[in-house]
Amino acid sequence: MKKTHIIAIVIIAIAIGAILSTLADSSTYASFRVAEEEPSKTFHVVGKLNKDKPQEYNPKVDADLFSFFLVDNEGKEKQVQLHKAKPQDFEKSEQIVVIGKMEAGNFVASDILMKCPSKYNTSSEDMKAVTSQR
Amino acid sequence: MDIQYIGEQLLWGKIGNLLVFTAFTAALLAAISFYFAIRNEDKTWRKLARQAFAIHTISVTGIFALLFYLILNHRFEYVYVWEHSNTIMPLKYILSCFWEGQEGSFLLWMFWHCVLGWVLILTAGEWESGVMFVISMVQVFLGSMILGVVILGYKLGNNPFVLLREHPDFANLPFIKMPDYLARIKDGRGLNPLLQNYWMTIHPPTLFLGFASTVVPFAFAIAGLLRKKFSEWIKPALPWTFFGVMILGTGILMGAAWAYESLSFGGFWAWDPVENASLVPWMTLVGLAHVMLIYKHRKRSLISNYILAIATFFFILYSTFLTRSGILGNSSVHAFTDLGMSGHLLIYMLFFLVLSAFLLIKNYNALKESHEEEHLSSREFWMFIGMLVLVIGCLQITFTTSLPVFNKLFGLNMAAPTDAIDHYNKWQVPVAIFICLLIGIAQYFKYKKSEWKDIRKKLTLSLMLSLLVTGLSAFYLGTYRVHYYILFFASVFAVIANLSYIITILKGKLSNSGASIAHIGIGLILLGALVSNSKKEVISRNLKNVDLGKDMPNKENIMIEQKIDTLPMGSYYVTYSKRETEGVNVFFTIEYFKLNPLTGNKEKQFELKPFVQLNERMGNVAEPATKHFFDKDIYTHITYAEIEKAKSDHGEEGHNHEENEDYQPYKKQMLAVGDTFITSNSFVILRGLKKDLDRKDFELHDSDLIVGADLMVQDINKTTYESMPVFVIKDFSVYTKTSVVDELGLKFEFSKIDPGTGKIELAVAEKKENKSDFIVMKAIIFPYINILWIGCLFMIIGSLIAIRKMLKKVRKADNI
Repeated sequence: MKKTHIIAIVIIAIAIGAILSTLADSSTYASFRVAEEEPSKTFHVVGKLNKDKPQEYNPKVDADLFSFFLVDNEGKEKQVQLHKAKPQDFEKSEQIVVIGKMEAGNFVASDILMKCPSKYNTSSEDMKAVTSQR
Repeated sequence: MDIQYIGEQLLWGKIGNLLVFTAFTAALLAAISFYFAIRNEDKTWRKLARQAFAIHTISVTGIFALLFYLILNHRFEYVYVWEHSNTIMPLKYILSCFWEGQEGSFLLWMFWHCVLGWVLILTAGEWESGVMFVISMVQVFLGSMILGVVILGYKLGNNPFVLLREHPDFANLPFIKMPDYLARIKDGRGLNPLLQNYWMTIHPPTLFLGFASTVVPFAFAIAGLLRKKFSEWIKPALPWTFFGVMILGTGILMGAAWAYESLSFGGFWAWDPVENASLVPWMTLVGLAHVMLIYKHRKRSLISNYILAIATFFFILYSTFLTRSGILGNSSVHAFTDLGMSGHLLIYMLFFLVLSAFLLIKNYNALKESHEEEHLSSREFWMFIGMLVLVIGCLQITFTTSLPVFNKLFGLNMAAPTDAIDHYNKWQVPVAIFICLLIGIAQYFKYKKSEWKDIRKKLTLSLMLSLLVTGLSAFYLGTYRVHYYILFFASVFAVIANLSYIITILKGKLSNSGASIAHIGIGLILLGALVSNSKKEVISRNLKNVDLGKDMPNKENIMIEQKIDTLPMGSYYVTYSKRETEGVNVFFTIEYFKLNPLTGNKEKQFELKPFVQLNERMGNVAEPATKHFFDKDIYTHITYAEIEKAKSDHGEEGHNHEENEDYQPYKKQMLAVGDTFITSNSFVILRGLKKDLDRKDFELHDSDLIVGADLMVQDINKTTYESMPVFVIKDFSVYTKTSVVDELGLKFEFSKIDPGTGKIELAVAEKKENKSDFIVMKAIIFPYINILWIGCLFMIIGSLIAIRKMLKKVRKADNI
């Protein structure tokens, strides 16, 4: 066997390993319903903040705990306990992705991604605001 | 009916549009003429092509200047200016807004292609026409990105000179019918606060110059195929490849510096898709540079040269596609938003891929090599292996980064790995280990064949020294995970082996040691990244909660009350002393003290002023502040602060109490006798209910009711106060008498009795100044991060030396 063949086999093996490990490590976008079915697994849940329900952040007690209510894309609402400081301008977020798992009826999240009003989508609203001033 | 708009300056836009079209047409003309000039001995085609390229360059520069002028003069009638700038922005950020948008960044890219194009026209000699044909083709595609014309219902690109009132987003808004709309626009939307950083004025131009420079080896490779001079292109392209390695590498590291200084994630690299998208072409470019060297010395691996030159340019286009098509969506913080260009970018990518694949397959037979295999003890063998390791690294990064693309292609629903950094490190740490080891040993091998004994002899000392340093570091820095030890050893070995190569083999001759110096740089960069990251210490330890383990890091933020708290953090004591507002920024002064063991006093060491930039539209953004020491950095970041202090979030609707200016709104709670509750500054106990109160005050009848709530209030210093708010029912109406504890700024009201449970409702209001200002912050120590920045310098200097030497050789060859 030629050296090039050995090298080719090694590369293919490693590439397959990389692909498999990516698939194994990758999480899934899901709803609370799916997350509830598999409580041990980590999910990305996409949803919107329920602005009518209370948000609790009490840094005096714990600066790394923030809880709020999230309505997922299927319309299901859960309390999310985020183990991080309350993000800046949390209320302004249009869409929220929380990363974590279900525990005792609550979604316990280790991380959060917020989609803030995108510049292009809201520019027409901005213009409305600008030109209605007087 | 035409509306006469007031105050618009439309001439600039008209000139701009003319230039946009000229730039596109001239590039097309240049491409065609350069193509014909490849085979034509007659110089008229080349002359025409050069003229066309000159017109193209003038147009691009003109667009550049014009757009800059419009931004500088706040001509908000143009969408681009309105979207990306405003009047309160300091002058130094004007450039940043130029390239914040897609149109501006495409322009910047085109501009660099023009500059590189002229250098090539002047220096490439016989290669001019072939290379410039490819570059002009690229310019045609880039030029079409800013055309903004509609062809067969498909909008081709985005024109930077579109007027605000003509933009489709605003098509039906009332302002279009107002002649004086311009006077009503107070200001533009301004620059994304994250980009208002000095790094953002130099990082994009450098990165785009790096992007632009990758086109040169690609263009040479294609020209080689077109001219059927299959290997002669490598020599003139070599300095360009190293130039690309240097500039693109610098650009990426500047991005890392920006992330470190002004982003909040606390680090310089997060394996963000946008970062990955520029790292991957850099890695393939490095691979290309090395196989080019192999070919130059040994006339081998020609096909690898082609594949890597094409792959590098393809990955540049792919990275453009990833970051600008909006496909990354949720998965990246700094991807551009979708401008509906994904189809356009896809065609761009496929065109060059198909073109190069076609040429490569057509000429495959001529490229095939047949010769005996490389010897295991040859330098080219190990360089080739190094290139393969880089390619494997690229494949892994690309695969994970492309998850959103796979989702779209196959309708999947995969999300990025939960712990992305861990996922990438798992793969890239071994890649880095192999690369470092190869960097260390490869130079000691000679091309063709070397004596094993010789190599062993030369490397022994470096190996021993590296082992010693690794051992000492374990002693000094504490323990790591096993693979970090190996990486530590490997990167130290890369540094020491190259150093010893310079000293023992090159005899310290610097003009020859470009490669070694650059390799030392790479070793230092990896070493610095490893140490500062694996040994970083979050000193703002939150001790108030339950530890949830490694998967749920919840002990990293700490609350500090202004002027009240002095919290121990690492070896420091930290206070929050001041909040100041300057323009759009709110600065928080954080003071760091150290205990002097002799006097027992806390002595101030330094202060940091992290800030929050207020941005109504895009959301407030917190920027960290970092204190740099020789051996460590202390990073301080505000994770939470109450910005709108006046606004109270405790207010409940439907309260019928008269609101007092000095007090915050009441907070109500139901209490039974014996219950306690806390206010911001005290404990309150309901000791009992008193009914035997003086009834005369209220002139009560026997059937009326009076009850007092007997409260004991205890403050932080254990001083106790008494308070007795009173609840009265007289003639079936309710009256209350509030009770105030002035010393604590508390006001109590006994507002209700629940006859069923015997509980009472007690409302408490606190004086506004009771609510002390506080912040939640995070502080991280990054040890020895300077090793990384020093490594960057070495990398740049080493590359410069190597390029200089190569240019000398090329020139010498030309003269002969």
